Amino acid sequence: MTTVSQGPQPTPVPGPVTDRKTMGGRRRHLAGVGENAGKANWIVKAVLLTICFLWIVPVIGLFITSVREPDAANATGWWTVLKSPLDVTQWTLANYTEVATESNMFRAFINSFAITLPATLIPILIAAFAAYAFTFMQFKGRDVLFIVIVSLLVVPNQVALVPLLQLYGQFGLNGTFPAVWLAHIGFGMPLAIFILRSYMATLPKELIESAKVDGATHFTTFWRLVIPVSVPALASFAIFQFLWVWNDLLVALIFLGPGENEPMTVNLAGLIGQQGQGWQLITAGGFFTMVIPLIVFLSLQRFFIRGMVAGSVKG
Amino acid sequence: MTAKVMTALISIVAGVGGALVLYYLLNKLAERLPGRWEDRIKPYVYILPAVAAIGLFLIYPAYQTIVYSFANRTSTEWVGLDNYQQLLTSEAFLQTLFNTLLWIVIVPTATVILGLAVAVLADRLRPRGEKLTKTIIFLPMAISMVGAATIWRFVYEARPAGQPQIGLQNAIVTALGFDPVVWLQQERFHLNSFWLMVILIWAQVGFSMVLLSAAVKGVPTETLEAARIDGANERQAFFRVVVPQIWPTVTVVFITVLIGVMKVFDVVYVMTNGNFNTNVIGLEFYNQLFTNGNAGFAAAIVVMLMVAIIPVMIYQVRQFRAQEAGR
Amino acid sequence: MIDTSRSTGAGKHRRRRAIRAAAVAVVVGLTGSACLAEPGAGRNRGAEDDVVEVMYGFSGDQSQSFQDIVQPWADQNGIKVKLSSTPDFDKLIRSRVAGNNLPDIAIYPQPGITLDIALSGRLIDLNTVVDTNRYNKNNMYLFDAASDAAGKVWAIPMSTSVKSLVWYPKKAFQAKGYTVPKTHQELLALTDRIKADGTPPWCVGIESQAATGWPATDWVEDYVLRFGGVEKYRQWTSHQIPFNAPVVQQALDEIGKIWFTEGNVFGGRQAITSNAFATAGNPMFENPPNCFLHRQASFMAQPGSFPDRIVEAIDEEAGVFPLPPIEAGAGQPVLGAGDLAGLFNDNPDTVRVLEFITSKEFGNQMAPKGGFTSPWKDFDQSKYPNDTMRDIAKIAYSASEAVFDGSDTMPGEVGSGSFWRGMVAWVTGQKDTATVLKEIDESWPDY
Repeated sequence: MTTVSQGPQPTPVPGPVTDRKTMGGRRRHLAGVGENAGKANWIVKAVLLTICFLWIVPVIGLFITSVREPDAANATGWWTVLKSPLDVTQWTLANYTEVATESNMFRAFINSFAITLPATLIPILIAAFAAYAFTFMQFKGRDVLFIVIVSLLVVPNQVALVPLLQLYGQFGLNGTFPAVWLAHIGFGMPLAIFILRSYMATLPKELIESAKVDGATHFTTFWRLVIPVSVPALASFAIFQFLWVWNDLLVALIFLGPGENEPMTVNLAGLIGQQGQGWQLITAGGFFTMVIPLIVFLSLQRFFIRGMVAGSVKG
Repeated sequence: MTAKVMTALISIVAGVGGALVLYYLLNKLAERLPGRWEDRIKPYVYILPAVAAIGLFLIYPAYQTIVYSFANRTSTEWVGLDNYQQLLTSEAFLQTLFNTLLWIVIVPTATVILGLAVAVLADRLRPRGEKLTKTIIFLPMAISMVGAATIWRFVYEARPAGQPQIGLQNAIVTALGFDPVVWLQQERFHLNSFWLMVILIWAQVGFSMVLLSAAVKGVPTETLEAARIDGANERQAFFRVVVPQIWPTVTVVFITVLIGVMKVFDVVYVMTNGNFNTNVIGLEFYNQLFTNGNAGFAAAIVVMLMVAIIPVMIYQVRQFRAQEAGR
Repeated sequence: MIDTSRSTGAGKHRRRRAIRAAAVAVVVGLTGSACLAEPGAGRNRGAEDDVVEVMYGFSGDQSQSFQDIVQPWADQNGIKVKLSSTPDFDKLIRSRVAGNNLPDIAIYPQPGITLDIALSGRLIDLNTVVDTNRYNKNNMYLFDAASDAAGKVWAIPMSTSVKSLVWYPKKAFQAKGYTVPKTHQELLALTDRIKADGTPPWCVGIESQAATGWPATDWVEDYVLRFGGVEKYRQWTSHQIPFNAPVVQQALDEIGKIWFTEGNVFGGRQAITSNAFATAGNPMFENPPNCFLHRQASFMAQPGSFPDRIVEAIDEEAGVFPLPPIEAGAGQPVLGAGDLAGLFNDNPDTVRVLEFITSKEFGNQMAPKGGFTSPWKDFDQSKYPNDTMRDIAKIAYSASEAVFDGSDTMPGEVGSGSFWRGMVAWVTGQKDTATVLKEIDESWPDY
């Protein structure tokens, strides 16, 4: 298909961005925060408003349901409470208190962190190295290996469950955190390499070449040049991997099992009875578990500012 | 409790630290070798942990799966091509394949278009508005699939006519004077599959929006300015300047979502379990493996998925070559 | 894939291919020897410690009660136990068996999985560890639910439920002067009478998200049992007679008479597949009732199904009678279900735990919490918390023929798959009775 078009060529901005001080100084060339902002006309605003409304209505529905009695939730639609929002009798915090006081919820919360943080940070590290190698180094079988890796994205994770169980069993790893970490690292690797490598491929050769000319080794180039500039891609992948591991039920269930190492997802699933009783706890529990990924998302937003790459790279 | 927190913290530090130390050591090792060898070995050092992880967790099971696809349900005897034959001649499975095709065509396209639209339009808002918009679109991703299923139950639920409706769509429909519709059981034109697709799109647009937003912000404004100076209007600027530059990211997003859709199962599982002609391959795999305990069929399905991905991979190869040539 | 920056010497090309081929050969060789699984192979790492691990699938209050009873007993008796409640039990137990990470005791919600896992050779035949004078089908309701054709017993009931029950709104029912029917004819007559009085007599709902259709299978099993007796029922569930045998066709036709006749079901035929089973019976507690009869299992009487205010005053608000036999004097056949406990190893501590959780002593502590029916026919009925539970227990213990829910006994493809789906297609009118039954029959795996 089409190659990356460079568009009309403005004057090249010299030098790689190894000294952060001058980043701010390049504001003339960089888009900065204010460039496109505030240019929205009313059509744009209307479209966005509609989309956002459609997107959030189901979530609002869930929230309202989580503060209602299950009997009421089964009997009338959640929007009916909006007719008389001040009628206190229709609100209840019982679902939340029940989930929060569930004896092991706090422990499960800590466990979720203990599982998710390494399972997010380690794959990024490993995949970044690999992506760098795939993009900027030459070696035998590079392209074939990359294709194979990306093709593995299609393999459903469940096929690995039984072989891994057997393997872990031999080493006595079942029920421990490393079991889950390793599984998530393995499962997340193809996507990580795919995203990071695709992003790194958009960095121009001149950047790396000038670093080489300056005498940098691969390691230095990687650590001091490519990584800082790839932060948007790293942040993107971090968000998704965090999300995926935080909300994962199956892998945790199979390799950790319920018990003292269980994460929140397993704990919540255990609140549902065999015939589905207790579903209202899922509504409250869902909001509990949603808070942390949102915080992660918001805090990583600052890596998505315009101009991280522009000016130092293109043209 | 503090013991737990301490253990957790130590585990985190040990895990991450351990990986860093590993790399550092491997790198130092490589640097010790004489120059020529160093250059040859270095790449492999860099990709070693990644490939090892993938080899163990994906390649080995994938290989085993291919082997099992030629064996019986408990993987104790060979059956040759029987599994494939039985699957491909079963009416139900062919319907499942067709359904999956619908999903593959509709969902990635919709996800990319919507994600791009939001990324581009939100870019024009002030930072606070942009952050709010993006957070709202991202919200569904933060909700686990079980939570999402509960949410959408309250959208699609149907009660008998005359009873109060608790599903939003039916509330609207009955308010307009019609009878409630059991959305997830409407098989004509595969409408019910479409309603399920809505759920997946709703959950996935956050993903495409995040990646495409980063890409859109990475387009240097000089190129846009230059286009405007040349007299292009907004639309032309967008399609002729922005899109080509973000195209690599668009393909990454599209392919990732495409592959995810090929193996989607939990949306369909929790809402209908494949009933009413909504079955898709990912769910069929899951059911064959865990409900029926038929490892042979399950493996055969995965192999078919792997074969189906080949055209996508060929496209990717061409992309790389183009990228390589253009750099 | 050839990098244009490299030289394209033919030698390099050939060498690369040779290396690749060698690598593939090594990989194939290493794994080729271990490619097929051996039945029953591998050590069970779970049996090698002194902790008895009990794995089960129920959760919430039931799990809490279970732990509150078993843990103290184990402590008193010097046995170390690990009680693991696990969601998605049937998927997980399969994974653990395949991954060689077996618990010591597993409590199965269905015999079908038990029989499937028994094929793997890991289960202990309970005949060899329990006293068959005490544990047999005369003393225990549904004792042989998980025994196979060769007479081996793979699991015995820990707690049970009754499924052949019809619920009704007591006050309204009696106010209208209706009486409990004792035969199938009387049931049909009652149906017509209620309809003539102006209310749809039945509430029926089979929706259950991923498991939609399962309540319909209960109806079919009840009627196959009634039309064919225990013999035919057993032959049907073990596939000794085909799924589309005449007795099954007869059962479906009879159910169709009740469900599909205009005005018999609240909401009409189209509501059946969209009514969630847990709340489908609730319209009968409205004032005035929107229906009068709801056939469903004993676990309806708990929060989440019947409205809270009904559950709290269950004896006054709700009545229950057994689904009648076809003819008077033919005894009362009962369809039931329950949780069954099985062993993966037979060391003494494990056996003691099994004996405890299937004992009356355990039941004495569990029953007052509600939602539990002991499998022992001579269980002390005063332990049940209310009259409704006692009535249900009586129905179970005095049943002339008690069988386990058939779809739970059938292999997963059918019992959790084609049977459910077939029922849905049949109710929506998509396929006719003969086609549906034939397709289910064809889906039966042959092993």
